[in-house]
Amino acid sequence: MRCSDDKTNSHFAKIKSPSRNTYLLGGLWIGMLFFFTSILPNTAQAMDPSKMINCDVHHGTCTQKFKDTEIILDISPKPVKAMTDLKFTITLTGKQIVSEPFIDLGMPGMKMGPNRVLLKSNGKGVYSGTGTIVRCPSGKRIWKATVTVPDMGSAEFIFDVIY
Amino acid sequence: MSSIETLYLTFLTTGFIVGFGHCIGMCGPIVVSFSLNLKTKGVMVPNLLYHAGRITTYALLGGIMGATGAFTRVTTGIGTLQKGAMIFAGLIIILMGLGMSGWMPLGKIFGDYYRPDGIIARSFRKLSGIQSTAAFLPLGLVLGLLPCGPVYTALIAAAGLGMETQSTFNAVLAGMGLMAVFGVGTVPSLLMVARLSGMGWLKSRNIIYKIGSILMIGVGIYFLIKGLRY
Repeated sequence: MRCSDDKTNSHFAKIKSPSRNTYLLGGLWIGMLFFFTSILPNTAQAMDPSKMINCDVHHGTCTQKFKDTEIILDISPKPVKAMTDLKFTITLTGKQIVSEPFIDLGMPGMKMGPNRVLLKSNGKGVYSGTGTIVRCPSGKRIWKATVTVPDMGSAEFIFDVIY
Repeated sequence: MSSIETLYLTFLTTGFIVGFGHCIGMCGPIVVSFSLNLKTKGVMVPNLLYHAGRITTYALLGGIMGATGAFTRVTTGIGTLQKGAMIFAGLIIILMGLGMSGWMPLGKIFGDYYRPDGIIARSFRKLSGIQSTAAFLPLGLVLGLLPCGPVYTALIAAAGLGMETQSTFNAVLAGMGLMAVFGVGTVPSLLMVARLSGMGWLKSRNIIYKIGSILMIGVGIYFLIKGLRY
């Protein structure tokens, strides 16, 4: 019995050295921090999404200026809901372009995978295409549409969607 | 390289990248719960079976998307199943946490009807202590239905691929292939999490089980609430 106790004590003395405990608690703390920061809003901006939004897609079109060209984005039907078929329309005023623009949909600060909406010309600088904004189970509703006009550049429209 | 091969490569890379960001945050707690629950057993084979189940479900969903080419219609159809998967995940993690901590208050819950060897106690013990290696495959098949942003994005691509393909059979295969490679891409990050949480010296400490149980119950409640609200 005594022998067995000694064995147990020496085993614990071996595996519970202070340095390992420090590493263990440190690792656990980092793990918890990583987990909770990834599932909970982790930035001041995320806590106040209105600071990120630069476009109210539910009530009209959004416009951004790019050099001499205005990029106007419209998403329909309104209000804009996730997991539904949406029509994206881009109107370019000013400079004529050669290649058709496209829209990449994503979330600010979160990788969601490539979700590109290809646009076709309707004439007179108007381009449209269909796409879907997916629902993030975390509950975050802020989405970003990056409109890229080849040979010219891109503009970011940040807005909220309804889940 | 054909456009399908390029798309496969893109989604394999996407799976790998979102695996180390999104998946560790959202699915990591499930993998950690399973690994801690395995206690003295090895974590690799059960985890590989879990991922095989998850990838099979992804591939089946990809096949349906490829065949129909209708992302929104199909996701509306499976919405209830996804909600159910999220609630199931929450419940199973809570049960595992309670089982691991030894705090399962079955006697209190069922009062006079509780019998230690009765069907209720045996079912709870079975669910809370999933340690059979074979059980991880069906778990993966069910939890592959969990709603997830990057999975939805890959399903949109699978539906798009289906619309571009000539025959329905080829569309099904293309959709299945795309979702399978996406799923494979997410495996390394989650295996790494499982391996870290299954380290022998880490699992030899009672305090890990105590803290782990509390975390698991918390994560389970989070999944349960998200599932009920979804």
